[in-house]
Amino acid sequence: MSMTEEVSAVAMKAMKDHQGEPRPVIDDELHRRLRPRWVRVTGVAGLLGLTATVVLGLWVTPPDETQGNLVRLVYLHPPVAWVALYLAFGLAALSSLLYLWRRTRSLFWDRLAAASVEVGVVFNALTLATGMLWGRPTWGVWWTWDARLTSTALLLVLFLGYLALRRVPAAPEVRARRCAVAAIVAFVDVPIVHFSVVWWQTLHQGATVLNPDLSPTIHGSMAWTLLLGFLAMTAVFVWMVSIRYRIETLADEAVTRSLATALAERWAEDEASGTAPTFGLGASSVPEEVVSATRGDPQMSVGEIVR
Amino acid sequence: MAVSVSVPSEVVTDRAGAPRRGRRPGRARLIAVALILVAALIFLLVEGLGSSLDYFDTVAQALAHKQTIGTSTIRLEGVVVRGSVEHTATGTDFVISSNDRHVRVDNTGDPPQLFQPGIPVVVVGHFVSASSDRFLSNQIMVKHSADYIAAHPNRVRAPNGSTR
Repeated sequence: MSMTEEVSAVAMKAMKDHQGEPRPVIDDELHRRLRPRWVRVTGVAGLLGLTATVVLGLWVTPPDETQGNLVRLVYLHPPVAWVALYLAFGLAALSSLLYLWRRTRSLFWDRLAAASVEVGVVFNALTLATGMLWGRPTWGVWWTWDARLTSTALLLVLFLGYLALRRVPAAPEVRARRCAVAAIVAFVDVPIVHFSVVWWQTLHQGATVLNPDLSPTIHGSMAWTLLLGFLAMTAVFVWMVSIRYRIETLADEAVTRSLATALAERWAEDEASGTAPTFGLGASSVPEEVVSATRGDPQMSVGEIVR
Repeated sequence: MAVSVSVPSEVVTDRAGAPRRGRRPGRARLIAVALILVAALIFLLVEGLGSSLDYFDTVAQALAHKQTIGTSTIRLEGVVVRGSVEHTATGTDFVISSNDRHVRVDNTGDPPQLFQPGIPVVVVGHFVSASSDRFLSNQIMVKHSADYIAAHPNRVRAPNGSTR
């Protein structure tokens, strides 16, 4: 059982003892605030964009001179990699920087980074999977240890490590700081993946669009379909991150509210019985500043109590 | 009891125990992390200029330091020369080239489906001897380009062989 689950279980039990019924810790107002209309619009746009990409990619665009019909994977693999490397891990690194910077420090950035990495890891794995599916018929091998493939596989491991780090029990602020540093360190691999095909001789082809000369060689309808693929995947990414962010926020809020309520109730109980507030732990185990900080403010968050 | 776990005493003691020193070690640590990151980047950039992470040697590169390669197993890259492909009982023979240097490849086994004259391939194997320019390979990988050109039966090639 994780720390978070433990806290909420304890808090829920405390509320049950007091009122017989658990109170909903997440109210309709919070639900509404975390569910803006643009999220649904983005989701629909992503779905329509993907559908159009599939139709154009499979039926409208011509086969390639060298690759024949195998070229159709170009409408899927690069957009997926684009989401993983630049959007997801880029946003995670940016959010982590903004968290570490004192002026913009807020758990909002921590949650956004967490949501972004989670989506990024899925897309990173998909990048490897679609790449392997493409590599087998074109190159002749599922996998090989060239610089591009190896650095991309390393990227997945690095950000899986980030997700593992988030599971290590710690106070929200401690975890946020740790993870922010980890995300920035892991992000160092992204430029390496990007430039691996320029810096080293690799089996993987170079970039088509963002090549060193910035002169893409890709024919008309193929280029437009590729662009549509990029836009559709971007919309899907925004949609997934906003949903994941909402879940993260709701989970945090549930813990915070239930813990705060439980603490306040226990304090009220102790006060009614005329003893000093101990939270049931014995006076010595609760630091004085925690006791005074929680007094009289049941809505205070866990982070604020800790501070 | 669970609450005592969740209220992180380390943070509280941190602040209470060392209220003055709270800022400086944090900054020093941040600078240390930044330095490590910059050092890692510089290392990789320098490494990037080197060739230790190259996946293959081109034909020209391999022939340039052929004495050190000898008959050790390497990956060799070059464009399959048009008209040089011959199918044999055990595999495929062809010539690959880069920068006007040529190597004759005797490959054992079936080439991948995209194998064809005029495109770059990577072959895995070794030279027959230190003085020979015949290369025995047991694997061909197609290294296709990043260009996507619509297949067209009447496509006209420019004199230099490129298509647009």
